[in-house]
Amino acid sequence: MATPSDGSVFRRRSLFKAAGLGVAGAAGLPVIAACGDIESGGGTSQTTSGFDFLPEYKEWPLPVQPDLVGEPPNHPSGFTTYPEPVPAIENVPSNSGTYEITVPIWGEAPSNDDPYFAAIADASGGTTVNLRQADGNTFAETSVQWLNANEYGDGIMLFSWMLFAHPNFQETVVNSFYDLTDIVKGDISERWPLLAGLPTASWGQSVWSTDPADPETARVFGIPGSFSGGPGNAMFARTDILEEHGQALPTTVEELLEVARAVSDDAGGRWAFGGTDYLTPQWFGLAGGDGWAYIDGKLVHNCERPEYTEWLEFRRTIWDEKLVHPDLPSGTLDGQALHKAGTIVFQLDGMSWWQGFIDQSTAEGTGGTIAPLGALSAKGRQPLVHVNTGVDSWTFLNKDLTKEQVEEFLDFANFCSAPYGTTEYELLNYGIEGTHFTYGPDGTPVYNEVGTKVVQAPVNHKTMSGHVQQFLTGTPDMVQARFDYNASVKDFAEVNIFEGMRVEGPSEFKSAGQVLIDQQNDIAFGRADLSAIPDMVETWKNNGGEVGREHYTAAYDKLHG
Amino acid sequence: MAALQTSAPPAPSRGQARPRAKNKRTLGQRLRHDWPLLLLTLPALAQLAVFFYWPSAWNIIAFMDYSPHRPFWENPFVGFAWFERLFANPYFMPALLNTLKYAFANLLFLFPLSIVLALVMHSVISTKIRSAFQSVVYLPYFFSWVLVVTVFVQTLGSDGLVSNWILGFGGERLTFMSDPDSFLFLAWLQWAWKDAGWGMIIFLAALASINPSLYEAAAVDGASRWRRMWHITLPGIRPVIVLLLILHIGGILNVGFEQYQLQRNAVGYQTTEVLDTFVYYRSVIGTEGPSFGTAAGLFKGVIGLVLVLIANNVAHRLGEQGIYQKS
Repeated sequence: MATPSDGSVFRRRSLFKAAGLGVAGAAGLPVIAACGDIESGGGTSQTTSGFDFLPEYKEWPLPVQPDLVGEPPNHPSGFTTYPEPVPAIENVPSNSGTYEITVPIWGEAPSNDDPYFAAIADASGGTTVNLRQADGNTFAETSVQWLNANEYGDGIMLFSWMLFAHPNFQETVVNSFYDLTDIVKGDISERWPLLAGLPTASWGQSVWSTDPADPETARVFGIPGSFSGGPGNAMFARTDILEEHGQALPTTVEELLEVARAVSDDAGGRWAFGGTDYLTPQWFGLAGGDGWAYIDGKLVHNCERPEYTEWLEFRRTIWDEKLVHPDLPSGTLDGQALHKAGTIVFQLDGMSWWQGFIDQSTAEGTGGTIAPLGALSAKGRQPLVHVNTGVDSWTFLNKDLTKEQVEEFLDFANFCSAPYGTTEYELLNYGIEGTHFTYGPDGTPVYNEVGTKVVQAPVNHKTMSGHVQQFLTGTPDMVQARFDYNASVKDFAEVNIFEGMRVEGPSEFKSAGQVLIDQQNDIAFGRADLSAIPDMVETWKNNGGEVGREHYTAAYDKLHG
Repeated sequence: MAALQTSAPPAPSRGQARPRAKNKRTLGQRLRHDWPLLLLTLPALAQLAVFFYWPSAWNIIAFMDYSPHRPFWENPFVGFAWFERLFANPYFMPALLNTLKYAFANLLFLFPLSIVLALVMHSVISTKIRSAFQSVVYLPYFFSWVLVVTVFVQTLGSDGLVSNWILGFGGERLTFMSDPDSFLFLAWLQWAWKDAGWGMIIFLAALASINPSLYEAAAVDGASRWRRMWHITLPGIRPVIVLLLILHIGGILNVGFEQYQLQRNAVGYQTTEVLDTFVYYRSVIGTEGPSFGTAAGLFKGVIGLVLVLIANNVAHRLGEQGIYQKS
């Protein structure tokens, strides 16, 4: 028998290798063949009201009444003077535990060694809560991995908008976090009067079902943050620049376009707009949330409505006419800095920018005045204003904690829920007098440098649990202005068609939504024509839109019968 | 004159065993002999096992409907269902093609640039100029992509330095940074600024290993600068060039993430969607989950392995060492 040559594929070693691969393959194939279908990523829907196991609501009497009385939640009440704070908790507990809670932070993370944290531990009854502070910009995505690996300490704070990054948050919640139901069920006002004073809707929105198909398995898993209402974002105009150009605040989209043309000067380096993506759909009557509206007996997505074309036409027009900063698509612009400099006249931002602009422009001496645009609409339609409709955040506790530890942490959460006008609130929100703030001439606390750095951080103990009531607070003029603004737009607040239910869309629907956003940007920045919209919508329908409609329709039917 | 060789080696007597080409020892003998060396490799092996082989074993979740919240063995096998979903996705193929486009462009236009830079550096005699040149070229490698893109926007953006300078002369703003048609050139400029210096350092290390006497001998023989580079320098660094080329080809589908993700809005998803951004937008933002992302990663790994084996085989056939010595 001839010996196989070196070049032959039948060399001894090659033959062994091939045989090995073959055996491995033969062993693996039956495993692979005996497979099921993918069942994950189908989306969930969770009722958030009508439970009998929530904490019983016991109104917590406010120590001082607001001087501006609104209609919460969309039109919150406010304080134009700083009240003399009074203690909220009469019987301070005696605790000694230490907990580590993972929280997002934007900007420089303050040290846990600051006297602010020690003072809180002391005032709350001896519980030390150390913050594990992580970058807020990537917190949503990275929190997925921490939760999967159970590497988040004794608890984690998640904002409601962060849930988008979690493939199946319902599954994560019921498998990772402590089930609080048996501890907080019924009357808890004896030990935790402030938690008992949180709105029932807040606790309802903290419920997830261990089995999504079985409503009977619903349980409380999170300590709710504050229940916010009213508009969370606005388009802020530099009113001083408008005045310079003889323009008034626009009240319709058509007027806005005219004003934008009047104030823009491309060659001179001034443009009307920075970003226009996430607020402007409401000017055209498009829905907030996941984009569904109930029209003529069925759910219709924003992209299927004629107003969607109008909205994209508007964005395209302002781009073509050079009314938008030309480097906006680069994503590297510091919109707030450009707004302060007057390079951008209209800045799309959160409501906190109103006060932020005043504080920063005063401190930097840059001057200028701003005001939010009211409820705009196009073509004479009834305006629509997207509003917050739920709790801002939750603090979830690790399922590995003991019942006693959870109860101690609830003591701490009870402390954090103290509202405006209490000494607890003052400590949590302003720090220690002399160390972090001093009282201004009108009696209002004013941060010093340390306070700005440590206490004014957007997330810390002050956001660990919701306040029994949210108020407008700050400088008197600003409180009055925000109060009046909320009053002017509250009648146009969008009605949430999924009120009382939390719906998480299927993964295909979310993927299709991402592609739609990319395609919208193509049109808005001149890379595609408006004529591409029908194809975009068809692609969206075929690649997840219809699956999404089915899912949301089932949820809607379950909710409305 | 004394004889250089005092005695001839003894001829092997008839019947005496000829010395073996390789000294075959038992495993025990080899362990006793080599244990210090083996001990030295242990940390590296442990590091590889913990941070590479163990995570690699988890690639199996690409064949499962995996959830981290149930025991591993309770995750159902779904065969190639995630791969089917991956290949059926209408945006997968464009992402793959874009990836290949940028990978080959990088290989064709950046790889030679690093060699050229190394040769230029090597020819500079002044140490001051050399260190200054090296710092200027090498430093951007340590910048993050966020910083690189920001610097480009500030310089070449529509409201950047150059645009405003052109406006001053009555010209038009540059639209270079937001034009999908010029993105490949823009990407090349960014690679060249950020990465060419790093590649240069590796080739410089290879150039340093060339025996200077070869140059001296060639110069004495009258070889020109060009001849010396062609006949001494390039052959001297050829094994390193081939090795890096093979490794580059193996990682051809790993074109990076940040550079494309950061400029997605500026030039559009159709231009910047590569496999890594595709996985991010489907797996994380689209919440397809870890199995989908792992399937995409495994696909990239298998393609990379095949390409490395092919390139290595070609290198061996051309007489090069490749990534390992052919036995």
